[in-house]
Amino acid sequence: MNETEQIRSKAKELLDSKKVDCVIGYERATDEKNARPMFAYNAKDADRLIFDQTCRHNLVRYLLNRKDKVTGIVVKACDSRAVNLLINEHQIARDKLFIIGVACPGLVKTDWNKPGDKLRDACQLCQQRTPVIYDVLIGEAKKVEPPADAYPDVAAMEGKSVEEKRAFWEKEFSRCIRCYACRQACPGCYCSECFVDRLDPLWVGIRIAPGENEMWNTIRAYHLGGRCIGCYACELVCPVNIPLSLLNRKLEKEVMKLFKFQPGLDPETPQPLATFQKDEKLGVAE
Amino acid sequence: MSKYISKKDLNSWLNKVRDNRRLVAPTKVDDLILFKEISRVEDIVSDYVNTDLSPKEFLFPPTEVLFSIEKKNGGVELTPARVEKETVIFGMRPCDAKGVVALDKPFLEDPTDPLYKEHRDKTALVGISCLKACAECFCSSMGSGPDDPSGFDIMLTEVKDGYLVQVLTEKGKALLPDSTLSESGEAKPKAAEVATVPAKDVNVKLRQNFEDPYWNRLADRCIHCNMCSYVCPTCYCFDIRDYPNKGKTDRVRSWESCQSAGFTKIAGGHDPRANKGTRMRQRFAHKLLYFPEQFGVSHCIGCGRCVKSCPVNIDIREIIQDVQKLGAKGE
Amino acid sequence: MAIEFQPRIVGFLCNWCSYAGADMAGTSRITYPTNIRIIRVPCSGRVDPLLIVKSFQMGADGVLIAGCHPGDCHYTEGNYYARRRFALLKPFLDYLGIESARFRVEWVSASEGKRWSQVVTSFTNDLTKLGPRKALAPEATR
Repeated sequence: MNETEQIRSKAKELLDSKKVDCVIGYERATDEKNARPMFAYNAKDADRLIFDQTCRHNLVRYLLNRKDKVTGIVVKACDSRAVNLLINEHQIARDKLFIIGVACPGLVKTDWNKPGDKLRDACQLCQQRTPVIYDVLIGEAKKVEPPADAYPDVAAMEGKSVEEKRAFWEKEFSRCIRCYACRQACPGCYCSECFVDRLDPLWVGIRIAPGENEMWNTIRAYHLGGRCIGCYACELVCPVNIPLSLLNRKLEKEVMKLFKFQPGLDPETPQPLATFQKDEKLGVAE
Repeated sequence: MSKYISKKDLNSWLNKVRDNRRLVAPTKVDDLILFKEISRVEDIVSDYVNTDLSPKEFLFPPTEVLFSIEKKNGGVELTPARVEKETVIFGMRPCDAKGVVALDKPFLEDPTDPLYKEHRDKTALVGISCLKACAECFCSSMGSGPDDPSGFDIMLTEVKDGYLVQVLTEKGKALLPDSTLSESGEAKPKAAEVATVPAKDVNVKLRQNFEDPYWNRLADRCIHCNMCSYVCPTCYCFDIRDYPNKGKTDRVRSWESCQSAGFTKIAGGHDPRANKGTRMRQRFAHKLLYFPEQFGVSHCIGCGRCVKSCPVNIDIREIIQDVQKLGAKGE
Repeated sequence: MAIEFQPRIVGFLCNWCSYAGADMAGTSRITYPTNIRIIRVPCSGRVDPLLIVKSFQMGADGVLIAGCHPGDCHYTEGNYYARRRFALLKPFLDYLGIESARFRVEWVSASEGKRWSQVVTSFTNDLTKLGPRKALAPEATR
């Protein structure tokens, strides 16, 4: 049985036994090539579930709307880290979830009506193809050899001069139309009042201008520092192709360097910015 | 016999047009094709079906200062924004021109939006008919068509080495004088074959199925990213805020979307569309029922950009089909 | 006569130690450059990187955070969290094209008036050499 069949069978079992209210998974999109999220409420719906390399959405986002209901959810490795993050931050309860983990072969770079066959950049650098939390695992646990340099894209940016970096980000942020799709797609962005919605004091507001765009993108990345689990749904969803993962991965690299921490590996370990050690030396004001 | 202009003459004309005007045309920006103000006619792309974002931003910008207020000489002085330069948008497709016709309705009908009117009066639309359709467009089902000239000042149809020219308005005539054109006996090429959707009377079905749980199910996967409203040529929701600007205050209008949570939040905390399903229903009812009823033209012009850009594949074509199939309920 | 560039510095000073230290510099009549604009916060741990980036966006050439020495925080732990936060922010600012020398964190106690004036003087001198920061424009992008 391949992944699709196994997921359908498990989902039907959960829905028929009323163990869950709904199974969140993927189905075929209207271009007949890519996948889209779907909510299966009964066995008939569950027959439309699929799993393949175009299943790029992070479905964990939807759990935040279903906190009081028992939900089944299909997760890949990066998505499973988001589940741990949300449990750690007391946003969802473990006993309200049935997690169908899928050993992920990596996602392909794909567009509407134009499915690709090359792996996404982030998936090429991925070090964890197996979900870290699940009730049932579909597919075989794979061990991935960590690459010699886990952050070549970040290193390339770091090597540029200050003026080059400034010019690069100015160009990228000038395209931003502040649709906030990045925030909406991210499982870590769930503040009931986002800092851009704050009117008094007005930190960012609604005006679309280079300075405001820079503030939006950089502070969002920083607020995810030590929390971003590396699904880069933000970058996938951006309509003007801003390389958002370049921002988040810099912080991932620094968090690993400073605090030896990778977000989302388990639901208990406190996040680095939520804790401290009295005598640590971090290169600040020493 | 039709009016004709060669590609070479067209380029020289475009260069002349650029002289004291803003020339906006489709151009490549990294992987995207966007309408931008261009400085070189060579930067205009020719092998595109349509742009990724609509040209509405040149009539209704994503961010715009409406006016500035300043305390001066013991009183308060208000300086409205002015549109200085004329604009020519070149390379628009018939669907987008129909989109401008739709956008004109809420902004130009009484009470007229003065800033939109200034943009509109000072902008000329030069279109190119579609010989190829996108995988996702369906203009002919929404009141337009691949060679529909409505809304354009000038419409071009590509033939070998040049274009057949239709000058449609006085503004177009002033911009492209007859003397620049020649005659051609070339036959008009076949317009693109466009896919259809069963949109006839979908407004009736929408009204009948207002309370159907379909909308909640559909909205399950929506993440309120606002993309649909931002890429759409006819969406016009906006928000207005005041910003301090070195001793003055600017009143700024920016794009918003009815799909954001909190869009309908009002003083007192009440939010009539707090539920995702109601916001989803609102979008499609506005596009296919309320706007056509109020203004007499369709609010969806079938360009397919929302279909292409929605990250979770909320597809208006699928929704139209689904709504037609929903059972008739209620009055 | 050319006017020398005067950097504009925004300083976030914790109320209990650093602000008192700066106050002490004042009462002791110790002079230091007036380029710094001080914002008093209850604790260095209150400073969200949002405030720092916003300062840069509004035209600051440098941002200085001053708090109690680790172990002496009035709220016991605030500056420990702050230390971690700023350790993460510094390389990030550099990555964005804001030279890390424009962002400085110092621990200044309530009795260190002289040290405060030395910190501000040295920061101002460094920023004068570095030059103005070109903040991204507040005008619309399109």
